Amino acid sequence: MKISYAVLLLASSILAAGQNPAYQQDPQWIAPEAAGAKANPLAGKLETAAGGRKLFLRNCAECHGSNGAGMEKKHSADLQLAMVQQQSDGSLFWKITNGNAPKGMPSFSRLPELQRWQLVLFLRTLKATGPAAADPAK
Amino acid sequence: MLQFVLLFLAMALPCSAQEGPFFVTYSHHMEEPGNLEVETSSTVGIPRSRQKFYAAPYAELEYGVTAQWTSELYLESSSVWGDSTVFTGWRFENRYKPLKREHWINPVLYLEYENVNEASRIQKEIEGGGPDLTSRNRALHGERAHELETKLILSSDVHDWNISENFIATKNLSESEGVEFGYAFGVSRPLARLASGASCRFCRENFIAGVEMYGGLGSTLDGFTPRGTAHYVAPVVSWAVSDNASLRLSTGFGLTDQSNPVLLRIGYSYELSGFGSRISRLFGVKR
Repeated sequence: MKISYAVLLLASSILAAGQNPAYQQDPQWIAPEAAGAKANPLAGKLETAAGGRKLFLRNCAECHGSNGAGMEKKHSADLQLAMVQQQSDGSLFWKITNGNAPKGMPSFSRLPELQRWQLVLFLRTLKATGPAAADPAK
Repeated sequence: MLQFVLLFLAMALPCSAQEGPFFVTYSHHMEEPGNLEVETSSTVGIPRSRQKFYAAPYAELEYGVTAQWTSELYLESSSVWGDSTVFTGWRFENRYKPLKREHWINPVLYLEYENVNEASRIQKEIEGGGPDLTSRNRALHGERAHELETKLILSSDVHDWNISENFIATKNLSESEGVEFGYAFGVSRPLARLASGASCRFCRENFIAGVEMYGGLGSTLDGFTPRGTAHYVAPVVSWAVSDNASLRLSTGFGLTDQSNPVLLRIGYSYELSGFGSRISRLFGVKR
């Protein structure tokens, strides 16, 4: 019992260490108004989020983690945070498309447009699971 | 040393690697920062009369220095049927994307130093009059060429299509050949617009198909002309074999007497994520 408790504690610590709840958004990285106002053409097709998950694991999890909580060592965004989730679909789509080269986020314009919208759809399913979730300030 | 290299490779994590399908044409899509892509490719020339069958295998190590800067090292060789197999040299290239955001046309600046000999047949680009496909390796191997190659890469993502144009200018620093010119154009598109939820190897979203055209445009000595040089048009396809590996195939058809009738290309790439940060940590450098 003690061993399994220790393993659980260790796993939680590793998970927490991998997250990036201290993520601060780059104030220079803001989608233009017209781009931010775009609606997700897949908004009514929630079943396509499964494809978005696959794309996320293939293209994004390397830096943002498989649960989207970000990685401190990679300075990557915790996608579960309200500051990310409160952004419009169009804004997230623009950020995936353009990237933020000075901060190391690559552009994913090589993905077809609908696949980028699938990613946005999947991002909406991310729910806070780590310590950040318990912090009401976040 | 080899053990260290293998250890580094084992420590790095595999990651996404849906490569573009082009062999010659460059687009504006850069290597992801900190990732290392290891690729092995081969160019196989099907001869016409007076030419010989050849295979030119080469290895590439492509590293994303930043999101805007990619470096690449090539090691190349050439094997000619009934002649010999020789190491033909190395190339070191750098690509820099000056614009931080996506635009209608995205320029990339390209600079490469080549330390190769005239037996080189990989034809990663064709400039001037194209490679010598008739002389023997023995005669060509001794002729070293230190070349500086520049490219202006223009590339656009229009809906789901990628359209790329490359303009090439090369200066041989070893001989007075003037400045040689070449071009490459390519168009490609993924076969599926939506990703399926299922894990699949052969589904359409894992394939990108396209066509590229490339050739020489003469030199400042012989005149800026598409005549008397090699030109090819080549359907291309890329297949994401797994999340970290891609296979690319191309069948080029020669359009002039200076071209091979058919130029086959095959390439297999494997991408390793976080390679740079792991190397840095090994040497105690904090990133």
